[in-house]
Amino acid sequence: MSEEIKISIFEVVGSPLCVASGDGQKVYDRLKVALEADREIFLSFHNVTTLTSAFLNAAVGQLYGPFSEEKIRSSLKVVDAEQDDLRLLKRVVDNAKRYFNDPERFNQVFQEIMEDEDDEV
Amino acid sequence: MRFSLPQIRHSYSSFETLAYLYTQTREYILDDIEIYMGETDWFDADMCAAFGAILYSLGRRLNEVSLIGIPQRVERILSKNGFLSHYGRARIPDQYDTTIAYRRFDVEDDHYFANYIESELIYRSEIPEMSPALLKKFRESIFEIFSNAVLHSKTDLGIFSCGQFFPNRNRLDFTVADLGVGILQNIKENIKEYAELKLSPEKAIAWATEEFNTTKRGKLPGGLGLKILCDFIDLNGGCIQIVSDAGYWQRRNYKIVTKRLSHPFPGTVVSVEINTADQHSYSLASELTPEDIF
Repeated sequence: MSEEIKISIFEVVGSPLCVASGDGQKVYDRLKVALEADREIFLSFHNVTTLTSAFLNAAVGQLYGPFSEEKIRSSLKVVDAEQDDLRLLKRVVDNAKRYFNDPERFNQVFQEIMEDEDDEV
Repeated sequence: MRFSLPQIRHSYSSFETLAYLYTQTREYILDDIEIYMGETDWFDADMCAAFGAILYSLGRRLNEVSLIGIPQRVERILSKNGFLSHYGRARIPDQYDTTIAYRRFDVEDDHYFANYIESELIYRSEIPEMSPALLKKFRESIFEIFSNAVLHSKTDLGIFSCGQFFPNRNRLDFTVADLGVGILQNIKENIKEYAELKLSPEKAIAWATEEFNTTKRGKLPGGLGLKILCDFIDLNGGCIQIVSDAGYWQRRNYKIVTKRLSHPFPGTVVSVEINTADQHSYSLASELTPEDIF
């Protein structure tokens, strides 16, 4: 069994406001090293009060570029997260999987938008 | 040059006015520009963000901007929120504390913006009492707007914000403006499939508010911020308006309205109206567990 490591988002960012993409990058840098070292990671949201998709895209979403879904699922555990934080994280993760797996999505949605009728004020 | 400003509300027609002001003045360098506000008998304070962005771009080209003839009532509100401090007036105390200060931020000022939001919106007893769930969603939405400007505007002129709340109407207005490339240009520059397509500015905004759409390329995914914001506004019963280039896009009660501005705005404005009496729990019927995430 692999060694465990706990990464506290609050400790990495130094603030309960986890909103900036640059701060998310700091979390990502640590997660990446830990995943490459085959550690079992507990990512703690303790004391985090505010999250944005920009932060979570940088911190967690971009993991789906270099790492497989299986690797992330088996190695990364979320702890101390509130229900609405989990919901946002789930959305970011689903978006990231799609971003890295489905490059054709843009044309599909564009077509839908072009077919919509405009409303008038 | 003298420009007469009518009343300004956060509405399509006022965005038209501000975009026209920009178009009329965009070629001026090292000039004196007078904005006559004698007919500005109303000014929605949060619109200082969009107005300030345009005036800042004038100052950047070393024009001297004077705001003259301001009716007393408008002068008082624009002095209370600090806007007129940028144009030679003193800031006056906000006795009823209903203003959210006008500020300009650089794109790397995430932490300053976070502190501004905390001090202006969160730790003030005068802010209408909002449920903890609403306050959290609202705060996150404001940060989503700012992050969107940071990530996409590519501006070196800054990001401008301002707000106002109306205790008697249970409403809070907040606007963020940037002087960046705009949504349409961003799409064309970043998505090669769209570079040659005739995409209207209002369609570009509509595209950017759809889930999974992003101009981000490379290792960092994106494409959620505006969708999350819209979902919140729908549930809250508020309204969101986005202006970018010559596109105008509004969403209220799940209904989208788009229009074309006669002149382009030099960047992007996101303006929200929040219903502060909202008691929505913002919880889902089924709860997620950490095992459901990855």
